[in-house]
Amino acid sequence: MEVQGFGVLSLLVFLPVAGALAASFVPRNLLGFHRWWALLISAFTLFASLQLYVGFSGNTFHFQWREGMDWLPALGIRYQLGVDGISLWLILLTSLISFLGIWFSFHVRERVKEFMIWLLILEGAMIGVFCALDLVLFYIFFEATLIPMYFLISIWGGKNRVYSSVKFFLFTFLGSIFMLVAIVALYFISKAATGEGTFDLIALQALAADGRLATGPIEMWLFAAFALAFAVKVPLFPVHTWLPDAHTEAPTAGSMILAAIMLKMGTYGFLRFAFPLFPDAAVQAAPFLMGLSVVGIIYGAIMAAVQEDWKRLVAYSSVSHLGFVMLGIFSLNHNGLTGGTLQAINHGISTGALFLLVGMVYERTHTRLFQDYGGLKRRMPMFATLFLLIMLSSVGLPSTNGFIGEFLAMLGAFQAGANANSAIPLWMPVLAGAGVVLAAVYLLWMFQKVFYGPIRNPVVNRLRDIRPWEQAVAWVFVVFVFWLGLYPKFFTDKMQTSLNAVRHQTLQPPGARPAWADVRTIDINANGDVVVVQRDDLNDLGRWTEVAVRTPSGHQPQRLAMRGGEE
Amino acid sequence: MEFITTPHAEHLPDPVFHWAWLILLAPIVGFLFQAALGRRIELALGKTAGRRLLGFAAVVPVAAGFILSVLLAVRLAGMDEHSRLVITSWFPWIDLQTLLVPFELRLDPLSLTMCLIVTGVGSLIHVYATGYMADDGDYSRFFTYFNLFIAFMLMLAMGNNLPLVFIGWEGVGLCSYLLIGYWYHDIENAKAANKAFIVNRIGDWGFALGIFLLYWVYASNQDLLPLGERRYLSFDVILPLAEQVLAGYGPLIVSVIPLLLFVGAVGKSAQWPLYLWLPDAMAGPTPVSALIHAATMVTAGVYLVARTHVFFELSTLSMAVVAGIGAFTALFAATVAFGQTDIKKVLAYSTVSQLGYMFLACGVGAFGAGMFHVTTHAFFKALLFLGSGAVIVAMSHNQDLRKYGNLRKYIPITCWTMLIGWLAIAGIPPFAGFWSKDEILASAFFSNLVQTPQILWFIGWVTAFLTAGYMTRMMMLTFYGNGERWRTAEAHAHADHSQEHFHADHGAQGEHDLAYFLTDDEVRAIEEEEHEHHHGLTPEHEPREVLPSMWVPLVALAALSLVGGAALSGLNPFAHLLGVHIPHLFEAWNHPSVGLSVLDEASAFRESIAIEWALIGASIGAAVLGIGLFARRYIKGLPESEAEPQGLQRLAGEQWLYDRTMVRLFVDAGGKFANAFYRIFDSGIIDGIFVNGSAKLVGAMGLLLRRSQTGSVRFYALAIAVGVVFALSYVIYTTTR
Repeated sequence: MEVQGFGVLSLLVFLPVAGALAASFVPRNLLGFHRWWALLISAFTLFASLQLYVGFSGNTFHFQWREGMDWLPALGIRYQLGVDGISLWLILLTSLISFLGIWFSFHVRERVKEFMIWLLILEGAMIGVFCALDLVLFYIFFEATLIPMYFLISIWGGKNRVYSSVKFFLFTFLGSIFMLVAIVALYFISKAATGEGTFDLIALQALAADGRLATGPIEMWLFAAFALAFAVKVPLFPVHTWLPDAHTEAPTAGSMILAAIMLKMGTYGFLRFAFPLFPDAAVQAAPFLMGLSVVGIIYGAIMAAVQEDWKRLVAYSSVSHLGFVMLGIFSLNHNGLTGGTLQAINHGISTGALFLLVGMVYERTHTRLFQDYGGLKRRMPMFATLFLLIMLSSVGLPSTNGFIGEFLAMLGAFQAGANANSAIPLWMPVLAGAGVVLAAVYLLWMFQKVFYGPIRNPVVNRLRDIRPWEQAVAWVFVVFVFWLGLYPKFFTDKMQTSLNAVRHQTLQPPGARPAWADVRTIDINANGDVVVVQRDDLNDLGRWTEVAVRTPSGHQPQRLAMRGGEE
Repeated sequence: MEFITTPHAEHLPDPVFHWAWLILLAPIVGFLFQAALGRRIELALGKTAGRRLLGFAAVVPVAAGFILSVLLAVRLAGMDEHSRLVITSWFPWIDLQTLLVPFELRLDPLSLTMCLIVTGVGSLIHVYATGYMADDGDYSRFFTYFNLFIAFMLMLAMGNNLPLVFIGWEGVGLCSYLLIGYWYHDIENAKAANKAFIVNRIGDWGFALGIFLLYWVYASNQDLLPLGERRYLSFDVILPLAEQVLAGYGPLIVSVIPLLLFVGAVGKSAQWPLYLWLPDAMAGPTPVSALIHAATMVTAGVYLVARTHVFFELSTLSMAVVAGIGAFTALFAATVAFGQTDIKKVLAYSTVSQLGYMFLACGVGAFGAGMFHVTTHAFFKALLFLGSGAVIVAMSHNQDLRKYGNLRKYIPITCWTMLIGWLAIAGIPPFAGFWSKDEILASAFFSNLVQTPQILWFIGWVTAFLTAGYMTRMMMLTFYGNGERWRTAEAHAHADHSQEHFHADHGAQGEHDLAYFLTDDEVRAIEEEEHEHHHGLTPEHEPREVLPSMWVPLVALAALSLVGGAALSGLNPFAHLLGVHIPHLFEAWNHPSVGLSVLDEASAFRESIAIEWALIGASIGAAVLGIGLFARRYIKGLPESEAEPQGLQRLAGEQWLYDRTMVRLFVDAGGKFANAFYRIFDSGIIDGIFVNGSAKLVGAMGLLLRRSQTGSVRFYALAIAVGVVFALSYVIYTTTR
């Protein structure tokens, strides 16, 4: 089941990096080469990542495409990669957005070589974040994404780029330093528990599943350290102020990647690390973090409504939209988790596309202020149509992707709030609904200011509609908007089992939590029950035989007495 | 495609019901056709021939849907009345272990009634629009939105689960938004469009919460549902079990469910306090006002209430709220209509008021009467709007009643058809409005759901009087009076919406000039084409009758307004009172979906024939009184005092200051608050004090990082790099050892 050495995932991580390395030896004046080379590499990465989907089985919560080897055995650090139903989609999203971002970056004319190299390195690092199964490895990838993005903003950014890039870097770096401390602490805790320290997520989670990792205040502190790092990335109110600056000043491809993928590192971090490793703390902190999410939803929307800068408005809308993701996953039921995870992908599509489209016009007019626009629909009807379609997905119109995510996330939060014994107050999901109203307010105002009314600016009066290749990039996004909106089953089918695992890992009492380490015995069936299973074939992840259902659906799960080597 | 299911399996339903999907798909195909090929066809075939083809292509899918709907309705009517329910489902939309939402259509009398109205009246209005929009600059864009609207509206009417209804619900809202802002060159139209969408979204917030609550209730009562059922939001699962499932809940939840659904209905159907968007929505082209903002979309709220009536019936509180809001809105909007000077605004408030009637009917338990009024109102209000459109066209797009007068001489067909619509809405027998309005009033009088329902009846009666009044005012000012007021009035200052002409700065535009920017010649050519030749209304203007494509639909709707009500009601209540047994066709058809008429249950009704005659007399009397009083006032033309509305009339016209207050309170003050909040809190406190402040603090303290913030980042980058180097050297060290 585990490939010793390198496999597909390593290819996905290191192909872009190797491409960047190779490009660094080519003279910088060969602009065409650098552009096409980066596009080729990212296209190949995209193609290779599709293989993950094809071979992925939605019937197990265990990591697939696993590969690993000892890296620093003396310190218990392993090079270990794998994907499950949550990270699968984020990796696919990463390779897609990176490809489209590089494609659109053909318009960049300054220091093309460096630009493409940084984008490729960034792509590799981001894929690494989503498949690393060792905490140190994860941390390295997590931090490694900062460097290329820092340079992308500070070199190719707008007028205020230095301030923004520094702010971006400091915020995220300071947030994650505490996580590093917590990671080291986990090593010592695991050493105390088993005699052998480890950074292996699977091993650590097996301890957490038995309640042997960290409990009480220590667990709370460790959770807080992880949560801070991820909250900054998401970003949650009030640690969000780096986002508008960074998104606004970044070059178009940078904004797209920041919004579409780097914010998802935060929500992913909660699902992958914070929940399974510190389940009790996560449950305790859920009402607080959901409260912050609701504040962020409303707050981000109000802030978006008063912006006079087109791109900054889109940036603030991210604060609001990511609130729904957090609301969904912290409601810790199946609807909410699915909705939150879908919404993370949706936001990548919608907001990535919004930044792309804003970038197309900015490229022509070099202004982002609403006062310089008006009547754009007259000169750019095709662009206006594409923008409208993407905007509607951001508004959350039913039949677009935005609706499915928000609907399920709010449904989950409502369910969590409505249950009498829940710690989550009902006003949270109710108030979050105001965010949907406000989304219509700021997005329609934006559309009106830019596209409707008379043309006021002579530059706008002379604009040509966008060119076919630009349309092509945008249409890719539109296809995903309606694919996700009308047939989300395609995406949720391979997600459900992994989300059930996270849910049970977080909510079950110690001993009954499914552990990734228990390859032989415990899994989760299509109804979301923890079951004991037997595999026919160790190499065929799709074929499982159910032996016994341990938690009948709809009832409180029973404590599992035995785990581990049970057959 | 699977799978027709029916709860009454002894009848194997006809596979013809699969064709319901075609009703839905036809306008979608039409929409895609217009969107993808509209402009190209117009360019290829030329304006005249191209538009003829496009207009034809826009009407056909809707008309085909109507034919199919008739076919299905006939089939369904042929079935036993208790098995008139067929569900046909396609592929799953949301499919989770905790929720299944398939694409599934529900065919029952109620949904087919809506289908017949939407496609029937819809195709007439489509025909009309091919004439109305003939000279517009953007023909195919109009029909793109128009066909899409039909598709969403049918989804709303036929969807068998709440999320599907919600697709239609917000989808029609989107089309409404796009069509109100259709003439987007004028920023005011765009603002009206925004207002419509945003106010509707407030209602949708409530609707969505209602869906969540229903889900929670049904998902926590799995043992009452069929084994393994995951369609917690499908009507065929939730409606039959409503009483059983809600029996376990207190009055709070039982009342909150219908009230939340009603919040959605209040938004979509423009009831107080959310009606604000509908008058502004008149900024759209007139066919839009007729189809979306009178005949179909705004009745969706009534449809929703009728569809989920079992939940309303479980809570008398919710019924009282529905009836109260409906009655109040009916009266309120009727008064506001007196103060309007714009012909379309009069009709807009009239629509709000009539919708109030429909909710009044629902609130007293007469869901069938409410739906009956939806139907007759679709006939006569579409007629009145289309007629007003013909007037507007004849009057060079001037909508001011004060500039009209004596138009019957110039546009006789429009005049005669609108007269029928006028008598229908006023409630004069035998025109359509009388039958449904009388049924609502009688139901209100005899309702046993609320205490002293006679108050509701009285409000409805006063509203009937006012309705006859303001409609008479509108008709008299338009078609009667000896003065042709546009001839005497000073030339109307025509607002020219064409854009200012720019003298573009031809300075450096970089290397991508041709790829990104138009040349001077191209700009000139486009501006030439864009310049619209609107002629204002001048004293020399001679109004002319509209084209046949516009008056033929008027005549058809006039025929429906003339006989539609009498035919559908089987001349009841007269037939009943005179002892002749003619079935009430509409009720006989619809009652399996919406329950029996209140009148059938009210025993008092049977006992006293005198009261019944008195009620009929009162409702005819109100109409006659309203017409008589106001015809006297306006038959000679515009009274001098109304050149500019004064006093009470003016106050009424300004919606008793309600709209202005709301705008001040929420838009202006809210905007100021948000702006201040942004500057003080986000930029000032969080960013200014905490972020930058602490950065400065660190900067001041740091001995190593003295120079600047940039320096500190480089330092961090360096630190990471050094760290990585150390780690790598450690790897090399351990592996080579």
